[in-house]
Amino acid sequence: MRSIFRNPLAVAGLCIISAILLMAMFAPFIAPYDPDAIHVKTILLAPSAEHIMGTDGLGRDVWSRMLFGARISLLVGIVAVGIATIIGIFLGAIAGFYRGWVDTVIMRLVDVMLSIPTFFLILAVIAFLTPSIWNIMIVIGLTSWMGVTRLVRAEFLSLRNREFVLASQTLGAKDYRLIFKHLLPNSLTPIIVSSVLGVASAVLVESGLSFLGLGVQAPQASWGNILTDGKEYIEFAWWLSLFPGIAILITVLGYNLLGEGLRDALDPRTSKN
Amino acid sequence: MFNYKQYQSQSFKHSAYSSLAGLLIIMTLSACDQKPSTDHIDYNPTAPIEKGGTMIDALSGEPSGLIAMIAGESSASAIASNIFNSLLKYDKNLELTGELAQSWDISSDQRTITFHLKPNLKWADGEPLTSNDVMFTWQTVTDDNTRTPYGADYKLVIKAETPDKNTFRVTYAQPYAPALDSWSGLHILPKHLLQNQDINTSSFARNPVGSHYYKLDQWKSGESISLSRNENATQGQANIDRLVSRIIPDRAAQFLELMADNIDSMSLNSIQYARIFPARPDLNEKFSLYKELGNSYTYLGFNLKHKPFDDIRVRKAINYAIDKQEIIDGVLLGLGLPVASPYKPGTRWSNPKLKPYSYNPQKAIELLKAAGFEDHDGDGILDKDGKPLAFEILTNQNKEREMSAVLIQRRLKEIGIDVKIRVVEWATFISRFIKTGDFNVVLLGWGLGVEPDQYNIWHSSQQAPGQFNFIGYQNKKVDHLLEKGRLELNPDKRMKIYHDFAEILLEDSPIVYLYAGYGLPAMHKRIKGIDNPAPPAGIGHNAYEWYIPKPYRRNEMSAN
Amino acid sequence: MLSYLLKRLFWMVPLLVGISLISFLIMHLAPGDITSTEAGFNPKTSEESRQKLREMYNLDKPVVVQYGLWLKRISKLDFGHSFASHQKPVFWEEKDKDGNITKGMIQEALPITLLINVLSLILIIAIALPLGVISALTQNKLPDRAITIFVFIGFAIPGFWLALMLMYWTGVSHHWLPISGLHSLGSDKLPWISQVIDTLHHLTLPILISGLTGLAGISLFVRNGMLDVLHQDYITTARAKGLPEHTVVYKHALRNALLPLITIFGLSIPGLIGGSVIAESIFAIPGMGKLFYDAVLMRDFPVIMGILTIGSALTLLGNLLADLAYAWADPRVRKGVSS
Repeated sequence: MRSIFRNPLAVAGLCIISAILLMAMFAPFIAPYDPDAIHVKTILLAPSAEHIMGTDGLGRDVWSRMLFGARISLLVGIVAVGIATIIGIFLGAIAGFYRGWVDTVIMRLVDVMLSIPTFFLILAVIAFLTPSIWNIMIVIGLTSWMGVTRLVRAEFLSLRNREFVLASQTLGAKDYRLIFKHLLPNSLTPIIVSSVLGVASAVLVESGLSFLGLGVQAPQASWGNILTDGKEYIEFAWWLSLFPGIAILITVLGYNLLGEGLRDALDPRTSKN
Repeated sequence: MFNYKQYQSQSFKHSAYSSLAGLLIIMTLSACDQKPSTDHIDYNPTAPIEKGGTMIDALSGEPSGLIAMIAGESSASAIASNIFNSLLKYDKNLELTGELAQSWDISSDQRTITFHLKPNLKWADGEPLTSNDVMFTWQTVTDDNTRTPYGADYKLVIKAETPDKNTFRVTYAQPYAPALDSWSGLHILPKHLLQNQDINTSSFARNPVGSHYYKLDQWKSGESISLSRNENATQGQANIDRLVSRIIPDRAAQFLELMADNIDSMSLNSIQYARIFPARPDLNEKFSLYKELGNSYTYLGFNLKHKPFDDIRVRKAINYAIDKQEIIDGVLLGLGLPVASPYKPGTRWSNPKLKPYSYNPQKAIELLKAAGFEDHDGDGILDKDGKPLAFEILTNQNKEREMSAVLIQRRLKEIGIDVKIRVVEWATFISRFIKTGDFNVVLLGWGLGVEPDQYNIWHSSQQAPGQFNFIGYQNKKVDHLLEKGRLELNPDKRMKIYHDFAEILLEDSPIVYLYAGYGLPAMHKRIKGIDNPAPPAGIGHNAYEWYIPKPYRRNEMSAN
Repeated sequence: MLSYLLKRLFWMVPLLVGISLISFLIMHLAPGDITSTEAGFNPKTSEESRQKLREMYNLDKPVVVQYGLWLKRISKLDFGHSFASHQKPVFWEEKDKDGNITKGMIQEALPITLLINVLSLILIIAIALPLGVISALTQNKLPDRAITIFVFIGFAIPGFWLALMLMYWTGVSHHWLPISGLHSLGSDKLPWISQVIDTLHHLTLPILISGLTGLAGISLFVRNGMLDVLHQDYITTARAKGLPEHTVVYKHALRNALLPLITIFGLSIPGLIGGSVIAESIFAIPGMGKLFYDAVLMRDFPVIMGILTIGSALTLLGNLLADLAYAWADPRVRKGVSS
């Protein structure tokens, strides 16, 4: 644990993410304006003292929308990864523990899912269902579990033959006890790293979808759909394009730093000499 | 000891660094400034008419083919309209006039129309264009094997004849006034090229031969469609030699291309027109902006089969509670008109005596009270019999509609109506909500017709799933007027019928007319000959008369 | 080796069936089909004619039947015709009785996407390799830190945002690069070399955007791989033996570090075939990504199915080739010794 705090990457990432999480959580208190309040008189104003990030095509304050957008982007990222991780742990554990035909079936399924161009799949599914936050979360979750599955399976395969497992089995421990009390806790490291990195990726996918108009729908604010508005007025209202992009950049960067930092700190195999 | 390790890794690093640097240099050099700057030409002075030049515009989508009756998209009809002729067309004041036909007669029983074609018409390939081609086209569009959704109007013809090469006669079972409009929208196809082909799959769709000012020169799939002058054009010769349409689906990219002088025209939205252009003197030097009557109106529609929208007082109250001018000022930045009937203001069909409902929240509250809606429980929302007055406005993904919905939501909130907004993707919208009748209020648009017949939208017989009277409007008087309007071919008598129709519609208030936005084309100043102010038909009515003076023409090769 | 190859090929068939089944089911999740699109809600059209259209496209039959019909056709590599553009075959070109050739949609779009992705792959290798190596060799010193920062930022930049910023900066502020499209107007009249340069100009931004994330990832991977390898015993041995440093780095460390790279490339093939929907939409490049996006919005089932199936098949093929290449390159596998 202490090594985490000594790792500069992890610390940097942690700082960034905490800052954004705090801002997102306290958005209703920090935001100076109602993010959905349309004011026809304040359309497309450049950043100023009253609107530090300017206003958009409907006169809404961009800074307030960014704060609420942070909630959406983070929520989607975390829930999507949560779904993917739960599925991944479940499938990976079963595959790694029981092996045999169960393992084969699951790994074939992983292969199938990995062979379909993911963004296409997400695009098609979202377009065919109604785009909504829940659908996006579920769909991203359902298309990102493959990596976790492989990781968990690999860990289980390698841990399975360790002495403490064999000992427990001789003592008559039931399967699920083994899985939950012994194998899983030891596989946590790669799962955590993968989840953190997964949030970064999910945030990027969500903002891409929102940008295309298939993600978070108006009037709800999301960094991606603020950018969609910005696209039309790119050379006139630069603030609509600049700020959301930077926000996404910083958030994803934060998660990546944390993830890589955790990997460095927790993984005994990476030596620093 | 000499530190080989350091040395070698240094030199390896060096080579790595230098390869990187080299790559960057190559990329920069090859990307050098490409265009000779056109920024200092003054496009303002006019010049005498000269034939020649190329006009470039942008298309948002690629046509699936150029046979308009089969390809549904607007991009297909836009291009095909430069290649094909119809029997009739609309002039600058939106009155019908002849295109291939030089005149037409209507029989005394109003059931037969005889078109007299202009003499010596030719196809682009030199073959003569005769009434046989018109007959062939009619047969094709009414053929059950033709995959077209537009056959209905033409199937009403019970007899079609070609007494001679230049005469085409159609007879209807009953007088059918919209017929003339239908003949202005049917592109006449060449029999000699299509008679042995399957119209649905023929390569003619990608290689058409028409009779209008232009013929297809080149179609680069996914990129551009180029048209060049048709020497045998039936309507004379256009001034501009070539029309190129670049396929640029993204509106933002279109605007950037406009600014980079890679396209000559674009239709702007309100913000670009009213905020961006005024702030950019460099753009104003190169482009002229125009305002034309829009082609559609936006409305708030009630599901008349659901309570409380079956109560006319509720509908009128909502009408009074919405500030339409606010919507026009806010959503369109003032670039639109309020309407009180489904016709273009200023045209013959639009009843000049009708005025839109004023903004009168007080009256709205009174009407709702009379209908039994008051705030009985003090929560700020009106209610009746314990149920609050709350509903959802459904609309599709369209910025202006979304904005309008929000403004409406606010105004209705002020008088105590709780409104939620739901934005739905188009195909889902149609199949899941409209066809099933599962909605309360929608925010949509209809076309502002030049043909006044509104039977499909307002007649009580058109309420089946998939038909257009999905709001469930039923009014015997309106039904009768709509039926009469279809039978009356005399324009003045017809006008009276539709004026009455619009008056009843306004009184019944089954929809709230919100606005009719202007069309806002931006044209490069190199294109001369554009009418300003735009006539009712829009600036495009005399596109063939536009010209590009030689000094302003693009240097073809370096157009990036 | 041969049995491995055969086993892999054998497995591809059920995989493909599984993929196509999943794709088919997903498409029928949604309400609405081609007849309910924009052209379909026009008062000038009638419900009967739309119903007629539906029948013609077999859309009124039960889903299972539709799937069966489709499977039967693709066994002959006939992916049907696009609903949205009635004459265009989905996959390969067709000749009609007059000898006119209509090109297939995928046939036209795939080469463009492949070109962009192959070029971006070359760009990635050209830049990421040196970056990764420099990073590994100067571990924790300034160049490594700088490169690491660059890499992380590269990972985090949203591609579509960068695309917009670059498009504006290079295309509008300065006229360095064209804004959209694949060719300039009139480029087909230019000599061959100029046409190539013109196309490359148009593709520069899409290639850059496509390559950026890959760049970050590969460069990090090379760095980590090199670091792993550089600390292995055999490297210490090689140095102890007195081998010159560049032999150590090149011949021993880099080669072994690069082996897993082959697998990485294999895994990134879905990205190659998939193309980038966003970049192609922004730059109006008529590639697979844009084709797919348009088809989805138009509910153009044959095209959607075609792209998903062909894309997946190519991916499986690519993975197979990558695995074969790995098996050949890694002497441990080649010589049959289990690793």
